[in-house]
Amino acid sequence: MSDVTAEPDLGTKPGQPAIFFDGLSSRRRQVVLTLGDALEIAELSDGQAGPTVTRWAYDEIRRADSPAGILRLTARSAPPLARLEIRDAAFSVDLVARCLRLDEHQTTRRGIAKIVGWSVAAAVSIVCVVLFGVPLAADRLAPLVPKPIERRIGDASEVQVKTIFRGGSCNDPAGQAAFGKLVNRLRDAAGLDDDAMTAGVLRTSVPNAFALPGGKVFVLSGLLDKAESPDELAGILAHELGHLRHHDNMRGLIYNGGTSFLIGLLFGDVTGSSAVIFASRSVVEASYSREAETAADTFAIETMHALGRSPKPAAELMFRITGKEGGSSFATILASHPLTEDRLARMTKEDRPASGPPLLTYTEWQALKGVCGSGKI
Amino acid sequence: MNDMQWAPAGSEPVPPPLPPMRVDFTGNRTEFRKMVTKGAMLELITFGFYRFWLVTDIRRHLWSNTAVDGDAAEYTGRAKELLVGFLFALAILVPIYLAYFLVGIEFERWQGFASMPLFISFYAFGQFAIFRARRYRLTRTVWRGVRFWMDGSGWAYSFRAMLWGLLVFLTLGLALPWREASLERYKMQHTHFGDLQGDFEGNGWEFFKRGWWLWLLSPIAMIIIPLAPFFYAEFKAREWRWWLNGIRIGDVSLSSDLPHNAFYGLYWKMVGWWVLLTTLFGLYIGGATLLVVKVSGVPAEQVFGPGHAAKSIPMLVMMVIGYFALALAMNIIMRVYLQRDLWAKVLETVEVHNIGAASDVRASGELASALGEGFADGLDVAGF
Repeated sequence: MSDVTAEPDLGTKPGQPAIFFDGLSSRRRQVVLTLGDALEIAELSDGQAGPTVTRWAYDEIRRADSPAGILRLTARSAPPLARLEIRDAAFSVDLVARCLRLDEHQTTRRGIAKIVGWSVAAAVSIVCVVLFGVPLAADRLAPLVPKPIERRIGDASEVQVKTIFRGGSCNDPAGQAAFGKLVNRLRDAAGLDDDAMTAGVLRTSVPNAFALPGGKVFVLSGLLDKAESPDELAGILAHELGHLRHHDNMRGLIYNGGTSFLIGLLFGDVTGSSAVIFASRSVVEASYSREAETAADTFAIETMHALGRSPKPAAELMFRITGKEGGSSFATILASHPLTEDRLARMTKEDRPASGPPLLTYTEWQALKGVCGSGKI
Repeated sequence: MNDMQWAPAGSEPVPPPLPPMRVDFTGNRTEFRKMVTKGAMLELITFGFYRFWLVTDIRRHLWSNTAVDGDAAEYTGRAKELLVGFLFALAILVPIYLAYFLVGIEFERWQGFASMPLFISFYAFGQFAIFRARRYRLTRTVWRGVRFWMDGSGWAYSFRAMLWGLLVFLTLGLALPWREASLERYKMQHTHFGDLQGDFEGNGWEFFKRGWWLWLLSPIAMIIIPLAPFFYAEFKAREWRWWLNGIRIGDVSLSSDLPHNAFYGLYWKMVGWWVLLTTLFGLYIGGATLLVVKVSGVPAEQVFGPGHAAKSIPMLVMMVIGYFALALAMNIIMRVYLQRDLWAKVLETVEVHNIGAASDVRASGELASALGEGFADGLDVAGF
């Protein structure tokens, strides 16, 4: 019954007062709304509804953000910032019921599901690229990197290395000559034709050796101090030459760069994700370079055999330095080298009685041991 | 011209100058908390991509619940714009990163760690991004059907920021107030609301007078760490108050009587939550270790011992889950305290003077792209 009486009311009486911003100026306009075929907005002046300012078709009306208790509307046909504000709850309900496409532009549950779906797809694709694409690209690209570029990267890292190990390089002439002889014999046996290859001893107590891109091999004097025979040192140098031969530096560079970039991309800036990135990267990286280490070991074994020497002393030297490894399970997963005990076992299996001449004479070996002078660090 | 001035006056009498009025913030805290909780979880399962939607939702909530002179503002930016801006920024940043890498190699070859100056160029780019991100946000800020907008150049701003940054560095931070005043002046003078132009009337000296003793005492905070949150809260409150008091838009001006200790509570709550959560995290890790030991039947020292790599996998998984839960919780807490609560606390002290000057402003200004926000996201810089 009340419906019947209410209907004509809407037509005749001035409708619902509301506030209107036309999107062209910030003026607050008092308007009256009438629900006809479309929403009619008329300006209110002197308490009288003036001529209709504008009409909004119901299916063009969209909801805009508003505080609680206010219905704020806009229309697709109106200027983009035109806003209509209604504070009367009952009228709002009535109007909302007529606007069928009111919330069409809002993010719905389905919209969120779509975001999740696409994100997961993107993540899966990035993970696949990290697991398969980047290693493949690194394998293929590493041998193709032109020598001059490799050498430049090597030069840059050499400067950095020398900045880190401030001791500088050792240059006792007799020791250097002995070292050069050792490296050259290994190089010839290994069939490395890189004429630009350089090698040197750096003064530091850290017992280690490493190869840089562009054919640079460095032995740290800490390792030299611990070595007891030329064969021990030679095996380790052969291992480093293996890395050079296999372009492991360049491969590692491409692989690490690519992986960290992609994983960084994946996580964006979720708080503290860099820790996760670091962790996940070092896990992938380690298992990757363990293969490279095993291959370098194979190379070292072959080279030593070609020289008629045993690879076993090198493994013994390593074992002497590191002791039994695998202190914690994390170290086991994360260690970039295969465990020393495993390597020792492997090299012991490859042990053969010496068939070639010693790599260095006794005096040469003593000179090499003293390349950094008597001053130990 | 006369006609235009008389037209509104004819229809209604010129209102007397309005008394200063407060800014109302009507946002519901529970609603906000639920929104950021849901958002943080979605962020987690979408590997962070949801951040564009969450950031947009947060701004929409804060903006639309902030009312000046009875009319609430509105944020019209949308997450898709941010996503597209981010992707474009990536497309531009990736080659730059690559070039940076190559140039870096050349520099390193010349001298170890000589590529440090290149970081400075990234800093400059970050300043540019801050300016452009501000422009994006402002052009999405609407009040009474008229949007804010900005002109000016991001590079000019970046240049200023760099020069002032150098001065701040050389004066050990003493020049900071003047830097902020100068940069704020640049930003505000290029800020517009419709055809009203913004300005900034705060000056460095004023800020200096409010905070110089904090600068003097800051070494103490470095030694006695528990004092640091007090210092930071004190500094932030003074900075906000100075900033708000300086803001002008046309003839409209702001003032604030934000007390100097306004943020103590907020920062201490943050610290409290951090301690609580990390303690919980520690307990969780301890419990997880115990569980692994019990289930696998291996003594604790051997779980981490050699030959049990396979058994440490569940441990690793539990640690990752715990870490994510911690990050998620911190994320929610930071947004609730440092965004929502700080916003509400600051707004309740703000007074707006002569709002009548903004009652009939002609709309103008173009929308700016979200590329700036994309850069800021890609470079991990933030600022307003």
